[in-house]
Amino acid sequence: MTADDPRPGGDAPRRHEPAETGDAAETGDAAETAETAETEPDARFTLANQRTFLAWSRTALALVAAGLGIVQLLPPFPGVRWGRHVIGVPLIVLGAVTAAEAYREWTSTQRALRRREPLPRSALPLVLAATIAVVAAIAAAVALLSATR
Amino acid sequence: MTEPDRGERDPGLAAARTRLAWRRTAIAFAAVGGIMLKTSVFAGAVVLAMCPLIWALGNLAAPHPDSARAAPRLRLVSITITVVAAVALIVSFTARGR
Repeated sequence: MTADDPRPGGDAPRRHEPAETGDAAETGDAAETAETAETEPDARFTLANQRTFLAWSRTALALVAAGLGIVQLLPPFPGVRWGRHVIGVPLIVLGAVTAAEAYREWTSTQRALRRREPLPRSALPLVLAATIAVVAAIAAAVALLSATR
Repeated sequence: MTEPDRGERDPGLAAARTRLAWRRTAIAFAAVGGIMLKTSVFAGAVVLAMCPLIWALGNLAAPHPDSARAAPRLRLVSITITVVAAVALIVSFTARGR
């Protein structure tokens, strides 16, 4: 509501904002007594939020592709029969989690934009970094184990 | 569509960039489908068929960015990826890797 709102493109001109307030403004006025007023944000904010969602979706697909590639295309580790699965399956599961969480975060960001509230923090970078670090440690362990057998 | 006209209707080319982001996502589906083809032709073909669908969704989405109309499309993408991941899990446990 104030100038220090951490919104994307905060310096963008406001002249596009009332573009689609037609019915949104009416419902907003009706709900204003009970809840925060909601108006359709600048189309550029909405589109930027959508691109963020799509970028996370591609990350999710890349994780699935990587996991599937490890399980199916990689030659088996000598002496470690479950080696490929223990590396690949967590990546595929992380892909599914990323896709679902990306949609949840798109929804909450869109709500914050409509209410002119500060944007919520994203949990995805931490989840992604932690899981990839664990998978890397597992991969190193599997590689060492198969080398010693 | 002349250039100054387009810049006026699409400030920052936000809609054009979003359309391109949808296309990259569609291509990512094709990549996953291609990998799946190797072990399960049916699952791979289904995921490959998602590619033109996502591409078309992107062309629909860019001109109508408002939240109410975008939500079902994005939910569809999210659910589809989750299903693809589930299929990938099944494929990785059932099909015997070489």
